[in-house]
Amino acid sequence: MKGKLEITHPAEGLALLTINGTGKNNHADVGLAGELRQLCEDINFDSGIRAVIITGAARKGFCSGTAGGKKSAFSLSGPVAALNCPVIAAISGEASGMGLELALACDIRLASVRARFSLPHIEKGLVPSDGATQRLPRLVGRAKAMELMLTGETITARDALQIGLVNRVLPQKELLPYALEMGRNMAGKASLALKYCKEAVMEGLDMALGQGLHLEGDLYFLLHTTADRTEGITAFKEKRKPRFKGK
Amino acid sequence: MSGYETITYEKKNKIAFITLNRPQVLNIYNVRMRDELYEVLGAVKEDSEVYAVILKGAGEKAFCAGADLSEFLSAPSPTGARRSRWLRDVWGRFLSLPQPVIAALHGYVLGSGIEMSMCCDIRIASEDAQFGLPEVALGIIPAAGATQTVPRTIGLGRALDLLLTGRRINAQEALQMKLINRVVLKERLFPEAESLADKIAGWDQCAVRAIKQAVSRGLDLPLEEGLKLEKEIII
Repeated sequence: MKGKLEITHPAEGLALLTINGTGKNNHADVGLAGELRQLCEDINFDSGIRAVIITGAARKGFCSGTAGGKKSAFSLSGPVAALNCPVIAAISGEASGMGLELALACDIRLASVRARFSLPHIEKGLVPSDGATQRLPRLVGRAKAMELMLTGETITARDALQIGLVNRVLPQKELLPYALEMGRNMAGKASLALKYCKEAVMEGLDMALGQGLHLEGDLYFLLHTTADRTEGITAFKEKRKPRFKGK
Repeated sequence: MSGYETITYEKKNKIAFITLNRPQVLNIYNVRMRDELYEVLGAVKEDSEVYAVILKGAGEKAFCAGADLSEFLSAPSPTGARRSRWLRDVWGRFLSLPQPVIAALHGYVLGSGIEMSMCCDIRIASEDAQFGLPEVALGIIPAAGATQTVPRTIGLGRALDLLLTGRRINAQEALQMKLINRVVLKERLFPEAESLADKIAGWDQCAVRAIKQAVSRGLDLPLEEGLKLEKEIII
């Protein structure tokens, strides 16, 4: 199958999704969105996948909006935001428009020094409509989010790091190896704990603090019933590496 | 004051000092410490002579290196454990203190150690402080509020980085991430915390408490309601 989205498994429990859209800037279209939706649904059903990395194809950007910046009826961020395991975006080159909105739906963003970020919708008289108006202010604060959306300006990886849009900036060659290492590391952890941790953070931010603390507590005690918790704590006490089973 | 085994409590010039005091085991948090903190925080909350609180760790090596895992796997049942969590809601009590609380952090600040400091209002750390949330590596998630307090303090992206990787960071990176307010030389840690507490204790206490309440309660409200709260509280 030759589509616009390739899935590989560089390590056990780790899925690497590579976006191969149109042109050097890796433009998105409805075909890519459909493949992404299907893959994300499959991943949520497949308990064998414990972490996901999303990146752009070699020598292409991460992902950009539709070619020509036309308004689109599809979503890239929705399916990714619905993934219940940790998702790492490995960003090199252009992450703009809907492509940046896709990155915002990931949990951790790693960028190469060559990464560039923008939300140019305003230049075409459009507004970001794949989540940026909500996710960006929650991530970098109101002031910086407004600046990016209202000016349409492009910022560098360094600027993105400074405002908290990305977690780390790496040399071009080290980006993917670093992401893979981080992904492998996560895939080796207790998958239910990772999922519940993510759930507590994401759901909790929409709640009052007191409610969020109750959610965290409930998920914590639900984990008391898992074999992985017993294994994790026993392994720590016995000073050995834990062997998690996702149960 | 007497009777405590895992903490010490002292009151001096309107400042309350709570010290985690199990230095032989890096001040790790156990059930006894929970009960003693619960009790002392209850007293501090009602004490109108306390204008500010400093929370710190005894010994050279750690503020608090996390929870005492030797007590884990011994709870009678998940439902029983859940019940005790809310019967002795020590984190809720931390958050409910009307006085500003300053955490003075040195050495290991891991797991519950970070979480406890996140229940405080201002965090000062010495250069040797190391931070990390290693819970996922143990097959668990934080349970003293970190999944809620950390994203609210340092933002979603940075919080998920710490929580999902479990990696360690040093004081400089913690400062950059806004996990702590300032970094000082080790010998300056407690004096700085104390001078900050002195400064706060010198203000009008109604104003101090009103600010703390407006900010912390306001964060849970839509802006309109937060603005209303600010007006009502200050009057």
